[in-house]
Amino acid sequence: MTVADTADYLPFVLRGIYVTIALSVCSLLVATALGLLGAWAKLSKFSAARGMAETYTTLVRGVPDLVLMLLLYYGGQAIVNRIGDATGLWERAELDPFTVAVAAIGVIFGSYMTETFRGAYLSIPRGQSEGGKALGLSGWLLFRLVLWPQLMRNAMPSFTNNWLSLMKTTALASVMGLENIVNKATAAGRATHQPFTFIAIVLIIYLCLTVASDVGLRVLARRLRVAETI
Amino acid sequence: MRNTLLGLAGAIGIALMPMMAVAQDITFATEAAYPPFNFRAADGSIAGFEIDLGNALCKKMNRNCTFVAQNWDGMIPGLLVKKFDGIFASMTITEERKKQIDFTDPYYQTAAVFVAAEATKIDFADKALGGLKIGTIPGVAQCYLEKAYPNASVQVYQNAEDMFLDIGAGRLDAVFSDRIQLDFGLLKTERGKGFAFQGDPVNEPGCFGEGIGIGLRKQDTELREALNKAIKAVHDDGTYKAINDKYFSYDISGK
Repeated sequence: MTVADTADYLPFVLRGIYVTIALSVCSLLVATALGLLGAWAKLSKFSAARGMAETYTTLVRGVPDLVLMLLLYYGGQAIVNRIGDATGLWERAELDPFTVAVAAIGVIFGSYMTETFRGAYLSIPRGQSEGGKALGLSGWLLFRLVLWPQLMRNAMPSFTNNWLSLMKTTALASVMGLENIVNKATAAGRATHQPFTFIAIVLIIYLCLTVASDVGLRVLARRLRVAETI
Repeated sequence: MRNTLLGLAGAIGIALMPMMAVAQDITFATEAAYPPFNFRAADGSIAGFEIDLGNALCKKMNRNCTFVAQNWDGMIPGLLVKKFDGIFASMTITEERKKQIDFTDPYYQTAAVFVAAEATKIDFADKALGGLKIGTIPGVAQCYLEKAYPNASVQVYQNAEDMFLDIGAGRLDAVFSDRIQLDFGLLKTERGKGFAFQGDPVNEPGCFGEGIGIGLRKQDTELREALNKAIKAVHDDGTYKAINDKYFSYDISGK
């Protein structure tokens, strides 16, 4: 029994990139959907919707990501088991770490996105929607043609920030045993007794991912700005 | 409407049937981070002494077994919420843990020992160990240190790897931990040069308990009986010795 070689573990660790990217993208979709819904609720004329959205953002922004993840992973499993025992529908239904991570990260960043979209909406000058109405637009058309493009443009900087910190938050999911790059690098570090090498690899991978998305989002932001210059 | 609902419930029930059948397989959780007992092979599979032993036990029981990786902190919570059926992760049988879970008979027994630079002299008669800064990991090693050397300056690490980094960096004068772990994780590696075992291995039952067992839920008595029988069987037919010798140059069975 000898200690294994570092290079042998490289493909194993690199395969974790796929999981990290998939988790980031799925969580972003959930967060964006919740954010739009939350912003709509906060700006709604129904006080019940406003109250619910307010409770959601206050509660979720006050809970550490890690705590929520562990709570959902172990506590959620206990609840799923209890439902299974009570109804007899299943004996064992596994809550897998990927789903739990998407739910936890999606819910947490949904609350940040709520504020992003709400702020973006509020910074659209009132005259824009009045002007739209004067042109005979109303309801859905007014929203789609006048407000939505400006909403997206205003939201971009904060959206980019949220995305970058969301991507780094996915590292936490390794505590549930999700085999992302952090989890795999830790395992490889233990097996080879070379933890530094693998921590450095993770650092470089995260840097590449954030730089790439920074460039991508900047291009997108420029395209969204086009309308402004006309 | 009522019929549709009943039909739907039936369809869900049928869809879930295969899941119930799968429950017959045994899932063991391991850390996959404690070589040579459990670790990741380069292809990503989980390997080690415990995986070989576990597969041998399952063969004796004619059951299908799988190993899943699980963080140490989540071992007992995960077992209790049925994420898996057994903890096969070098977990020491202790009174504290027995309040929550059950264990099989021990499948190996280990001892803890000090490691320090060859030039370091540890004064074992001193309850403060001469003021040296000692690193250890939670569990049996920490328990023994606190009992035997209450005045020593002890730093507790989440895992052995971090502790090894710190003794390499000179932040610690000595470490006290499992003999096999120190042997493979430190002394046998490049960075273990100049370090050596100090003093005799200790194995005091107050902290070290009865050995290492497979952790099981209290209600799963049938599984425990089956595993105990299988442990005895692999000892009797020499399978245990063959697996032991594949990883260690000494007998770790504690028998």
